[in-house]
Amino acid sequence: MKVYKCFRILGWDFTITPVRFVLTGLVALMVATVVLRLLTGFQYVTNLTDETPWGMWIAFDVMCGVALAGGGYSTALLVSIFQYKEFHIVARGALLTSLLGYILVMAGLFLDIGQWFNFWRPFVSWGYTSVLFEVFWCISIYTTVLSIEFFEIITERILRKKLHRYIVKILPVLIVIGLIFPVMHQSSLGGLFLIMKERMFPLWWSEFLPLYFLLSSFFIGSAMVTIETTLAKTAYGHEIPHNIMLKLTRVGAGMMFVYLLLKLYDLFEKHEWNYVFQGTLQSNMYCVEMLFGILIPLMIIVSPLSKKRGGLLTYAVLTVLGVILNRLNCVFTSMYESGSYFPGIGEIIVSVGLISLGVLIYCFLVENFNILGNERAVQIKIDKDKDIKNLIWALLRTKRR
Amino acid sequence: MSNKMSRRKFLKVVAGSGVLGFGVMASGCKGKPSGGDGWVSSQYEGKGNFPVNLKGRVAISATNPSIERDDEKCILCGQCVDACKNVMGVYGNYPLPLKQEIACVGCGQCVMQCPSGAITEKSHVRKVLDALDDDTKHVVVQTAPATKVSLGEEFGMPQGTSVGKKMAGALKAAGFDSVFDTCFAADLTIMEEASEFVQRLTKKKDEIPHLTSCCPGWVKYCEYFYPELMHNLSTCKSPQNMLGATIKSFYAEKMGINPSNIVNVSIMPCTAKKFEVGREELEVDGQQDMDYVLTTRELAVLLKHKGIDLNTVAEAEYDSVLGESTGAGRIFGATGGVTEAAVRTAYYLATGSNPPADLLDWKPVRGMQSVKEAVAGIPGVGAVNIAVCHGLENARQLLDGIKTAGSSKWQFIEFMACPGGCIGGGGQPKSMDAVEAKKKRIEAIYKEDTGAAKRCSHDNAEIQSIYKDFFGKPLSEKAEKYLHTTFVNRHDRLFD
Amino acid sequence: MAVLVDITKCIGCEGCTVACKRYNNLNFKAKPRNVKDDGNVELDDNRWTVIQKFHGEKNDKLRFVKKQCLHCKEPACASACFSKAIQKDEKTGAVVYYPDLCVGCRYCLVACPYSIPKYQWNEQFPQVSKCQMCSERVSKGDAPACVSACTTGALMSGDRDELLKKAHEIINSDSRYINHIYGEYEVGGAEWLYISDVPFEDLGFKDVSNVPVTSYTKSYLSKVPGLAACWALFLSGIAFYNYRVDKNRKSHDDDDQDKEG
Repeated sequence: MKVYKCFRILGWDFTITPVRFVLTGLVALMVATVVLRLLTGFQYVTNLTDETPWGMWIAFDVMCGVALAGGGYSTALLVSIFQYKEFHIVARGALLTSLLGYILVMAGLFLDIGQWFNFWRPFVSWGYTSVLFEVFWCISIYTTVLSIEFFEIITERILRKKLHRYIVKILPVLIVIGLIFPVMHQSSLGGLFLIMKERMFPLWWSEFLPLYFLLSSFFIGSAMVTIETTLAKTAYGHEIPHNIMLKLTRVGAGMMFVYLLLKLYDLFEKHEWNYVFQGTLQSNMYCVEMLFGILIPLMIIVSPLSKKRGGLLTYAVLTVLGVILNRLNCVFTSMYESGSYFPGIGEIIVSVGLISLGVLIYCFLVENFNILGNERAVQIKIDKDKDIKNLIWALLRTKRR
Repeated sequence: MSNKMSRRKFLKVVAGSGVLGFGVMASGCKGKPSGGDGWVSSQYEGKGNFPVNLKGRVAISATNPSIERDDEKCILCGQCVDACKNVMGVYGNYPLPLKQEIACVGCGQCVMQCPSGAITEKSHVRKVLDALDDDTKHVVVQTAPATKVSLGEEFGMPQGTSVGKKMAGALKAAGFDSVFDTCFAADLTIMEEASEFVQRLTKKKDEIPHLTSCCPGWVKYCEYFYPELMHNLSTCKSPQNMLGATIKSFYAEKMGINPSNIVNVSIMPCTAKKFEVGREELEVDGQQDMDYVLTTRELAVLLKHKGIDLNTVAEAEYDSVLGESTGAGRIFGATGGVTEAAVRTAYYLATGSNPPADLLDWKPVRGMQSVKEAVAGIPGVGAVNIAVCHGLENARQLLDGIKTAGSSKWQFIEFMACPGGCIGGGGQPKSMDAVEAKKKRIEAIYKEDTGAAKRCSHDNAEIQSIYKDFFGKPLSEKAEKYLHTTFVNRHDRLFD
Repeated sequence: MAVLVDITKCIGCEGCTVACKRYNNLNFKAKPRNVKDDGNVELDDNRWTVIQKFHGEKNDKLRFVKKQCLHCKEPACASACFSKAIQKDEKTGAVVYYPDLCVGCRYCLVACPYSIPKYQWNEQFPQVSKCQMCSERVSKGDAPACVSACTTGALMSGDRDELLKKAHEIINSDSRYINHIYGEYEVGGAEWLYISDVPFEDLGFKDVSNVPVTSYTKSYLSKVPGLAACWALFLSGIAFYNYRVDKNRKSHDDDDQDKEG
């Protein structure tokens, strides 16, 4: 087990590692970019044009972020409703990643809207004919529910007494609510594209889009949990038995198989096979997406490879990348006409910065709260009674002495 | 207890803001729609879609070599449509849908009428300034007769002031290497055209009526709308291009300059000339006669840019070899001028002696009447019926009359696109009283004619020597090569 | 209010674009954001309408096409807007944008089948920009600015049904016209109608189906409440069941403990 230098300030543990130092720098860079973006609009920060009005922040931060955060609800569904009690040990971690994911998604969305001071308008001026309206409400409610759910973990350590008891009491209700809304908005994220019938390449547009998005959010969720636990193992030694992970991924893979069947049905139903092998940009991207994102992961999971940790991780990584590619394809490739888009430096800085921020918060919470199954997740060497001055000092010079 | 209260308060706030928000939405408080905070011209105001007298604007292609328009200044007053349709007879005289191109003869009358200055000539000022700054280039300039009586207006002089010599001085001060006179080329044109006319009268009767071709606006108009009359057009190039071709051949040879290093600039009262210089049919040995055309207005801009005030600049003579001019050349700028000059020389060519005094002050072809008729009695040839027409809408009516009659009662018809001839050209200074200005300019032109020592083109000594040294005689092979041209049928670009 | 565009009558003077910029106070100096390969300028935040020139490979005839918002009968942009910043004005038929309500999500830009709405990318607080069909003029009974500035009669405004009748009359009386009114049925029909003597696909018109794209979202959203309710019921049912099972087991355990005790 690795031992990190850690500062305790006001009873909270702050661990400093070179990686986190870099991440903090990225976050600082992002904050500067965000200020620039909010004050000057899109012109200096993004590469958005009229031809690609939705860029990296929507396609990657929001579409992929929401999908990746799907782990929270899929594990919650398995654990709380279908009583797969053995998955319980991953539930809290998945919950935290989901919450962070959603908060970052909302941050991304907030940056992406032009008149950001008007973000509250849909609460008042109800554009109920829009799928985005549904997504907006669902994400808002779900993030609130997730926060309250997570508050249970927080109140274990601080503000204990009454509040914790209240939350524990209403937790079952919260869990049910917290399962309604993600299902609704995961599917409506796909529903967003229904109106683009005339603009999207036929391989991606389908009336099943909401179902595709729902199914894929489910299996990317389980794949993401696999990756998270692997990472958490290397970082914190929090080990989860292989057979549990295998079981979890098999549930996901089952969904993936349903997804594949639906896709095939779609192709036959609409006679779109000729589009698949055209050799154009669109058809090639489609083939890559289906082959590496769906077919190969499915083959891994039915083969003996799945018995090994490496095999399972490969499955998870391929699945995650496959779904990300699917979302990018929906936003960019399928609507590719004449303009080409590559995210601007500002857009990349913000996206990377948001992810870094997420990682930092995750680490901090995991090290201070009971999330990965043990009271104190990390073995830490505590420099006693260090104050904020020393923390800043440490941030500036990672290696003292 | 306090906890409960605060929760109730909280709920109140939430519910209250919700109700408020719903109220705001329900009451339709959605602000103002975007747009609509500008204005449109008054003829587009008022209920419904009332018919109005004048509206819209003419179409100007982005590739139009003569004129361009700045949309920011356009107020959609419709004046350009009036000029194009009622004065020039172009707009509305071809069928819709369009065929190959947007019809434009380049006359520039819309420029003259545009009240906000949105339509302008396509400026060559920058290019000419660059050429002047280029030491490897020999920049030659020529000035059209009509510009000499109008340029002064741009410098605050009274209308009808003759500033020919001052202009020559100003151009020299501006750095042009040689300053020649288009009037000289007008004399050359008369030599060719009168010879051609006499030849047609006696030998090629099918090419009668003889139609003049020195106005590029009219020539393009004829190509567009009356291609069947193209063979009646005089094959002579316009004076501008005759001089251009002479400069790049005779003058270049004489001065030992490589023609490709010569930049030919002309000062013209005309925007159609900017189209004419790009005509491929005019090229000699693959070389354009002329390079740049400055309108009178552009010249004023250029001189002002160079800090030259026409009021104070020293007068100068036109440069020799291609600088002498006669009264006949000078009256080219006014409607009827070409006819009068041609008749003087035709008389000489037919009889061998100079015309009598009444043909030197030939009133019937002068003035602003839209179509003027005259009969010239030339001994040996007989009575020649002549018509003079200016303004292309007038030309349309005249030619349609000929079409319906089946034959022409005139043997010689002069056409000028712009009302009043070149003195009313689309490149001329804009005036407070355009009608009065035209009269004054015409007066000034005829004053120059009567004040000239020589009144007939064939008396021009430099013309005589250039025929001796270079062209041989009118309509010679060399003259055909450098001074004559062909025309392009543009009918099918507008019609089926 | 509808407008009929007779493409055969347009001479490309672009007076309509000037009228539009004047009336809507758009910036004349703004450089075009998007110039296509054939040299035609696309709509952008300062060009709510443009004239595009078509003269070349497919048709040897010179044709000009006015491009602007078609003001669909079933506008995808208005249906896509989650804050009602784009609304179809029932009286005038104009699809109107209210900047005060706009959040700036740009869903309308991606939703429009014709890619009409554009965005003010250079503004600090950018707004969507598109033709408003001069809604204020139209509600007063005036023609849109572009229509009133048209000299050749290529643009005619009036009641949609009457214009359709007129368009059919024109097509039937002149064999040169293509027997197709673009905008009559396209994605559910539009207020702007086009007739032409050159096939529409050669003039940059998009070949779209007659099904309004809003129908797909409508049918999806109409199912959502029911499905969500079922899902909620299902979840609460199972949750309650689990709870009961837990409780029973606990009390059973307690009973056992009691017995042992």
